[in-house]
Amino acid sequence: MRGLLCVWLFGFAALSMADAPIPKGAFANSACLACHQQQSAELVAAWRESAHAATEATVSCVDCHGNTHSNAAARARRDSTCTDCHGGEGGPVVHSYTTSKHGVLMRLEQDEWDWRRPLALANYRAPGCAYCHMHKGNHNVSASVRVWNATQGIDATERERVQDTMRAVCQDCHSPRYITRLFDNGERMLDIGRMKVREAAGILEQAENEFSVVELAAAREHFAKMQSLHLKNLYLGIGHQSPDYQWWHGQPALDGDLLRIKGALGELRRAPK
Amino acid sequence: MSRQRVYYVWIPLLVALVAVAAGYLYVDWSKGGGGAGLYSRQWLPDAVFAYWNPGDFYQSTDAVVGEFEGEQCVSCHEAVTPGIVKDWQASRHANPGNGKATVYCSACHGNNHQALHLPTPDVCGTCHATQHAQFEDEKRYGFPSHALAMERALDAKHFVDKPKAEVTACLQCHSVASKCDSCHTRHRFNAAEARRPEACITCHSGPPHPDGETYFASAHGRLYLDEGKKWDWSKPLSKGNYKGPTCAYCHMGDGKHQVANKSLWKFGIKQINPLTSGNEVKRDQWVALCSDCHAADWSRQQLAGLDAERKQAWKKLYSAEAVLKDLRSDNLLYPAAGERPPYPADWLDSIRPRARVGFFEGQASAFYNVSPIERDYFEMWYFDNLGAYKGAAHGDQGAVSHGHAAMDQDLAAIEKEAGRLRGLAEREQQAQRRRPDPSKLWLFGDYTEFNKEQN
Repeated sequence: MRGLLCVWLFGFAALSMADAPIPKGAFANSACLACHQQQSAELVAAWRESAHAATEATVSCVDCHGNTHSNAAARARRDSTCTDCHGGEGGPVVHSYTTSKHGVLMRLEQDEWDWRRPLALANYRAPGCAYCHMHKGNHNVSASVRVWNATQGIDATERERVQDTMRAVCQDCHSPRYITRLFDNGERMLDIGRMKVREAAGILEQAENEFSVVELAAAREHFAKMQSLHLKNLYLGIGHQSPDYQWWHGQPALDGDLLRIKGALGELRRAPK
Repeated sequence: MSRQRVYYVWIPLLVALVAVAAGYLYVDWSKGGGGAGLYSRQWLPDAVFAYWNPGDFYQSTDAVVGEFEGEQCVSCHEAVTPGIVKDWQASRHANPGNGKATVYCSACHGNNHQALHLPTPDVCGTCHATQHAQFEDEKRYGFPSHALAMERALDAKHFVDKPKAEVTACLQCHSVASKCDSCHTRHRFNAAEARRPEACITCHSGPPHPDGETYFASAHGRLYLDEGKKWDWSKPLSKGNYKGPTCAYCHMGDGKHQVANKSLWKFGIKQINPLTSGNEVKRDQWVALCSDCHAADWSRQQLAGLDAERKQAWKKLYSAEAVLKDLRSDNLLYPAAGERPPYPADWLDSIRPRARVGFFEGQASAFYNVSPIERDYFEMWYFDNLGAYKGAAHGDQGAVSHGHAAMDQDLAAIEKEAGRLRGLAEREQQAQRRRPDPSKLWLFGDYTEFNKEQN
């Protein structure tokens, strides 16, 4: 039934666009927007809601699609479109994905796939960046990404917003119960990571009354690592389903930070001036 | 023989018999809890464990009522979860050829939708008997092996101790013992996929087991990266079929589902004697395998090179262990055992707290409730040492140099920190000042208290 609906929708879209010949380009971004505002207003509106449009150096149409119409959609669907800006192959954002089972299948099979197919209905054996974050061509990438918050949990509305978006993606392949259990487990796992950060924050707050900024520098350095690196690794490991980022780059790394903060303060208290 | 002498024989014998029987009963009893493994009475599973250890924890959904077979399952799931149907349709299960019957969903999952199961290796083994028997055979060689991986995770003290949602990732990798799709992913179950090195890296990468990193940096790995795409992966992993080796080519030669039989230095976390007669047999197996491409003498030299590297690494590791043991004897670890959360899953520790140093004392489970200097050693031992080991084993000299340079730095840092701890203690003694009690800092806090209550 869903298949029929899609055929009908795509057919309808193709017919309605058939009136005018599609120009080849090259285009400047303003030209893309001017025309697509008419041709696919929803798509442009979704992009405007996304972090891609909100950043100072806007991630524009041509950044992902190139400046011609030829193969523009297929090119943009591939992971290589995203990786350079998102920390490169070695950065945690990409690496947590490329070492996951999804990422492994992508590495092995991507050259055999027909990238002209829409990002929906498991048209690809494994999901790439765009399959999950721009499912069904939704140009609001932020719909599937949470607002980052290191210490406090996010509120229920924000959680549901992202989980609803993602549930619709995951269920192309996975059972509803499996998805729910992974989501719930991920929440609990991230909460545990936040507990470690909060424990460290509490200790440091107290220590500020006792010690100078200089004395606390070492402990603060560990705390910065907790927030900006190891908790983020955990978050990425959960989102991208990488056991290595959930564990070795995540939880035990946070344990190490926490005990070193305690160790640093312990030594300060033992060596009074 | 006097009557008294008879007692000397019979009493210890009886005590031993009773103790052995009681031991068996105790272990049996301890495995009967809500968790799984030796400590099953001390924890309850997170709901998601059902998917990583289905044999122990999976229970069918009861949302759909009825019995289904063959195309009935397929036609409904085409709409519900199209991805798995597409995968299955492209698999050998759906296209067995040679007049064999199609393997439908129900063959592995059962046909009663309220009593479905996730297939364990035993289920796969009903058809794939040879591979299953090879996999089961790994258990003879102990850990590390794929077949014993789940047992190893569940019986690890830190796994038992930590909140279960925190340690889910452990089971995700160790599930290689509980289901076959870790390597040939569902529902395609493609042998060619499992032959490629990437199939292993989801678990075999990262700080304590950089197998993927060191392989891809080696000459073998670079050859694969350059040319692997052009190789015919439908061929068995046998001599002459591949220009260069992959993980499975060496560790699962001829496609044998047995990774444990040739393992010499094993996980790399304890020193072994590489020259025992058993290890000579393994060495000969390695040389025979390398001889698919290399001269036997050259291969022996490479293995001897690995032994030499390991010997050097253990010299450094034992030096660091000696520093820690000295600190422990002089009661200079700060916080000491007893002033920090106890060693996990060990009731004796609450009576007689003791810091653990090295493999045989169980330091592998002590990397969080410990003082910084103990953690420094854990990282030296688990990260830098194992990085060097995997570099030496996989032919990545860069990783060997890097690992050894890092271990030298670690050892120097550990010695320096030990000096500081001694200095602090001396000054306290001179000033006749008690060292401050660290328990408040170490026994309380959001996570520490949660960990104490929830495991």
